[in-house]
Amino acid sequence: MFALIGCVLGTLIGVLPGLGPAAGTAILIPITFNLDPIGAIIMLAAIYYGAMYGGTITSVLVNVPGEAASVITCFDGYQMAKQGRAGPALGIAAIGSFVGGTFATFALMVVSLPLASFALRFGPPEVFALLVVGLSLVTGLAGRSLLAALIMTFFGLLLAMIGMDPVRGAPRFTFGVQDLYDGVGFVPVVMGLFGVGEILVSMEQPILEVIKTKLSDLFPKKKEWGISSAAIGRGTIIGFFLGLIPGIGAIIPTFLAYVVEKKVSKHPEKFGTGVIEGVASPETANNSYANAAMVPLLTLGIPGSPTLAVLMGAFIIHGLTPGPFLFKERPDVVWGLIASLYLGNVILLILNLPLVGLWAKLLEIRYQYLYPGILLFCILGAYSLNQSVFDVSMMVLFGIVGYVFRKLDWPLAPAILALILGPMMERSLRTSLEMSGGDLGIFFQRPISAVLLILAIIILVTSAIRLMPMWARKESKN
Amino acid sequence: MKKPWQLASLIFVFLSLFVLIHSFSYSYKDRLGPGPGFFPFWISLITGALSLALFLQTTLAKPEKEEKKSFFPNREGGFRIAFILASLAMVVVFLNPLGFRISLLIFLFFLPLFLGVRNWLAIPILAVAGSFGVFHAFYYWLKLPLPIGIFGI
Repeated sequence: MFALIGCVLGTLIGVLPGLGPAAGTAILIPITFNLDPIGAIIMLAAIYYGAMYGGTITSVLVNVPGEAASVITCFDGYQMAKQGRAGPALGIAAIGSFVGGTFATFALMVVSLPLASFALRFGPPEVFALLVVGLSLVTGLAGRSLLAALIMTFFGLLLAMIGMDPVRGAPRFTFGVQDLYDGVGFVPVVMGLFGVGEILVSMEQPILEVIKTKLSDLFPKKKEWGISSAAIGRGTIIGFFLGLIPGIGAIIPTFLAYVVEKKVSKHPEKFGTGVIEGVASPETANNSYANAAMVPLLTLGIPGSPTLAVLMGAFIIHGLTPGPFLFKERPDVVWGLIASLYLGNVILLILNLPLVGLWAKLLEIRYQYLYPGILLFCILGAYSLNQSVFDVSMMVLFGIVGYVFRKLDWPLAPAILALILGPMMERSLRTSLEMSGGDLGIFFQRPISAVLLILAIIILVTSAIRLMPMWARKESKN
Repeated sequence: MKKPWQLASLIFVFLSLFVLIHSFSYSYKDRLGPGPGFFPFWISLITGALSLALFLQTTLAKPEKEEKKSFFPNREGGFRIAFILASLAMVVVFLNPLGFRISLLIFLFFLPLFLGVRNWLAIPILAVAGSFGVFHAFYYWLKLPLPIGIFGI
């Protein structure tokens, strides 16, 4: 039942422009407070991968991605809708999402335990090194300026330092404000940056018009099934393996799946004009990624995206600590969640194929009604966390901050990830230095942490080279 | 985008300086190991360096050959944004004194009106459903405490 409710809410969140899965999951955390931990996590996970599909609907119908990972779907999905083929676009996205999600869930069952056993060999230096890799990946792959992305990462780390010192327990940077003793809550920050910030940016734009297309025909033509099947297969593999890497985010798998599809196609010039594989592959990769990204979250305690960082926060709120010990101490939670992923994939398919018409109707709600509704839920979500108006004011403040960063085109994802991972990073760094008596060499004396730190350096150097002006101009010419 | 990026990076330089100075209020090291001031010291130092680097990079970069996109919204967009922020500020100020139901009733009544809705049936329905309806659902069904104001509503 929780999976069903979560899938419905998640799809709704993904459909609504102005809210992404991160903000949507954050907003809906309060409704799980009175549920048992397993039920709560199942519902929130269902919201997460439901939102992945929901974003497709707006991408196809109005060329506005409901969430960041659905950007690629706009390229061909919207073109298909303009040709009156919104039905096949949404239909193949639903089918591809089901296949990708189911495969990833099965593979999750297979790799989780071996990965959890391996993860038990991780001490504080390895945890710190892994977190550095995670933040490097997100930083290096975000935006057009590596420096801006790095600044956003460190901005998130600065925010994470407000509140109680994670090692000594002393208040820090609270300036006598009692509400800051618990730190800057990530739920108000996420809702502000993503929810309120997005609405403020949208207020500058003209009103969008919805294309009312015929949705009665949901399936592709006969000849498109073969092309779509191969695209779905490739998207599944790409999404799954990239989902295992913490910090990569959902945009990279979808983008890569699209690029690969274009490269293997006999007619690459048709991409962008409304080809079905241009929708099938990235949408499959999206859901395959969404399920596979649970692996580093559950086994290593590393969230792979802002939404998973929010989900991790929900775990902690319900008294659960993601990581290798979760398998040992609460196997009921882990396997209950994995079982719900199977069920959730089926529910999503059953929900979304017949309900595509209904979801599309939601988009016909004018923004003058829609945005006040979204803001209502942001206010409610922020307040419900600690029954504190202070959290609502934080949400508004970060809404302004999010608006400014969006205008600057500085990426928000690194800041959110750093905010969540900051305390863990500080704790592992300081504990490592306590172990070594202050010697930084400990990170390079242990093989796993040494390899991970070298990997992080390679990622950052590669990103720096990629974003150097000379190379950027060459790439744009290509 | 040159000037906005320069200004933003300078703001981060000053923010980093502020954090760096305050980090000296906490112990850098104690007998157990790195203290509460250790992480803020290094994070603020690195952030300041990165921000300075971005400021210099932006200042020395050649102007981009693209259409001049203004950082600031146009007048209409600016008014909409300002009104939304003012409405949210109103909610923050009056949420506890007036309670959830009245604050959100006012918020959901006037915001759609400002945004151009003139449907005199839809506005009150949305306002009542969003304030009283949502309160009822969350307070009584989901047992989530929401503020009740001085009027007992």
